Amino acid sequence: MSPPQANQPLPPDYQLENYRIERQLSMGGFSIVYLAYDEEDTPVAIKEYLPNSLALRKAGDILPVISEEHRSTFRHGMKCFFEEGRALAHLNHPNVVRVLNFFRANETVYMVMQYERGRTLQEHIHKHKGEIKESFIRNVFARLLNGLREVHTHKLLHLDIKPANIYLRIDGNPVLLDFGAARQALENEGQNLRPMYTPGYAAPEQYKAPDQLGPWTDIYAVGASMYACLGGSVPQPAINRLEKDNYQPAARQWAGKYSAQLLETIDWCLDLDYLERPLSVFALQKVLTEQQHAVHESTWIDSLSQRLRGLIKK
Amino acid sequence: MKFTIYQESRVGKRRNNQDRLAHCYSREALLMVVADGMGGHLHGEVAAQIAVQYLTEVFQREAKPRLADPFMFLAGGLQSAHQAVQDYAVAKHLPEPESPRTTCVACVVQDSVAYWAHAGDSRLYVLRDGRVLAKTRDHSTVQSMIDDGQLTATEAMQHPLRNRIYSCLGGVQTPQFDFSRKTTLQSGDVIALMSDGVWGPLEDLQITAGLHGRDVMQAVPGLLDEAESMGGPNCDNLSLVAMNWGENYGEEAPQTIETQSLPFDGHSTQMPEFDRRSTPMPELTDEDIENAIDEIRNAIRKNSK
Repeated sequence: MSPPQANQPLPPDYQLENYRIERQLSMGGFSIVYLAYDEEDTPVAIKEYLPNSLALRKAGDILPVISEEHRSTFRHGMKCFFEEGRALAHLNHPNVVRVLNFFRANETVYMVMQYERGRTLQEHIHKHKGEIKESFIRNVFARLLNGLREVHTHKLLHLDIKPANIYLRIDGNPVLLDFGAARQALENEGQNLRPMYTPGYAAPEQYKAPDQLGPWTDIYAVGASMYACLGGSVPQPAINRLEKDNYQPAARQWAGKYSAQLLETIDWCLDLDYLERPLSVFALQKVLTEQQHAVHESTWIDSLSQRLRGLIKK
Repeated sequence: MKFTIYQESRVGKRRNNQDRLAHCYSREALLMVVADGMGGHLHGEVAAQIAVQYLTEVFQREAKPRLADPFMFLAGGLQSAHQAVQDYAVAKHLPEPESPRTTCVACVVQDSVAYWAHAGDSRLYVLRDGRVLAKTRDHSTVQSMIDDGQLTATEAMQHPLRNRIYSCLGGVQTPQFDFSRKTTLQSGDVIALMSDGVWGPLEDLQITAGLHGRDVMQAVPGLLDEAESMGGPNCDNLSLVAMNWGENYGEEAPQTIETQSLPFDGHSTQMPEFDRRSTPMPELTDEDIENAIDEIRNAIRKNSK
């Protein structure tokens, strides 16, 4: 066995069409993301399709080497990249990353996206582990859900929502990133590309019943991302929950620290049975924003009645 | 290149040794790695093994005899190692709490310049004239608390969270790698990479004293003895590789040394299988690609109005 080869990024100052490469921002198994500048010196993020196991760019080279044996798989994998580009091209929303250009060069394909300054929710969680305020969670997710609604309106599913894919701009406004797993919902063309999922955030139907994917699948991931904000840890992966469910309900773990309504909403999103989850983003968003007014005048009667409601639901 | 190097790993008072370490070199480049595995059962051991084996394999492939860019090598190697550990967890269907993870610190020396990177709390020290010239900063909760002034280094040694780290290879979180500056070595400099089993029970002063002015072949076992006795009945796994640099920049023509990789403590561990799809698929033609791109560009144009 030999390890997947480490791809070399394009060198700094390399002129890629109309863009000047500044440096590599990140490297994943499928792609490299660069910071680059366009002709007007506006910073952009450029994603280069370069799956590690199929294409190798050696040091000093620009063109990757793709062996004859891998050519077909390499090209086939482009479909995922096109899917992502297609998904984003149709969306124009402040809470969804914007794609600006898409082109072919160096025997592969590139997607140019708006470059945002800020940090991922993942980094934020790390930094503020266990001290993230309820108002922060509500604010970020209520706005993020605006973006997700737009995604679903276009009959798309994101399918890989997680804190690492949620970017917080400097003004705190969240942006949904990385549509690498996005699929045209309701338009199953029977692709046999290996689905990607992130343990803990992926809903059970992503492992077990791909024909049951729907908005509720992204909602599970939103629930898991909110859960991660509470204590900094990911809920038990769905695939293991299906065998033996050791899920620690948020409502039990963090009672008193966050409102019962928020905690129960998170548990609701994380129901293994998708029919039991909020069925649309709108439904979830309503719950998240509704409470914001009530929070200020919350009385013991409110919280008691919330608890009762929770009990009745179970 | 002239240097002397010695490495040793001990189980301490634990049941298994989840540490791994290795070094290998070509005529013109040297690699040293230490990884300290974490995770239930024996998974930590596997994670550490994967990380170390990855880096050494990539090094052997790329250092022929020089690395084109040592930092790029470290970045690519660590990132791939992280993914390999993740792949292993997925292949074995390991639940997140049990998922294999490992710290990793790796150092390359080429042209008398040292380059290093790390994730977690395995450390690298560069010692010159009996003093710490450079040292990695742990990705640990207590280190952050020290930086914030909430804790002193001595208090940290006893702190209940002293083992908690926030960056490692494997697991769902993207690791944070810290890269060093390029550090030009002088004859007599010592570079030491170690797991927390070594530095944990010792003060920096003991580490510098233990490695200063002695042959690494004696200094390494000596320092491990010291750490092991300070570590007491719960002593963690201890791993240390130390290298004494023997030449100044441009001093003399490099000696010929065969590439050599030392065994990793005689362990052999199952490695993950990587899914390489071989089923034939309909070929995507140039025309298909052009069409897809046109479609996307049109959508972008329409939407940006």
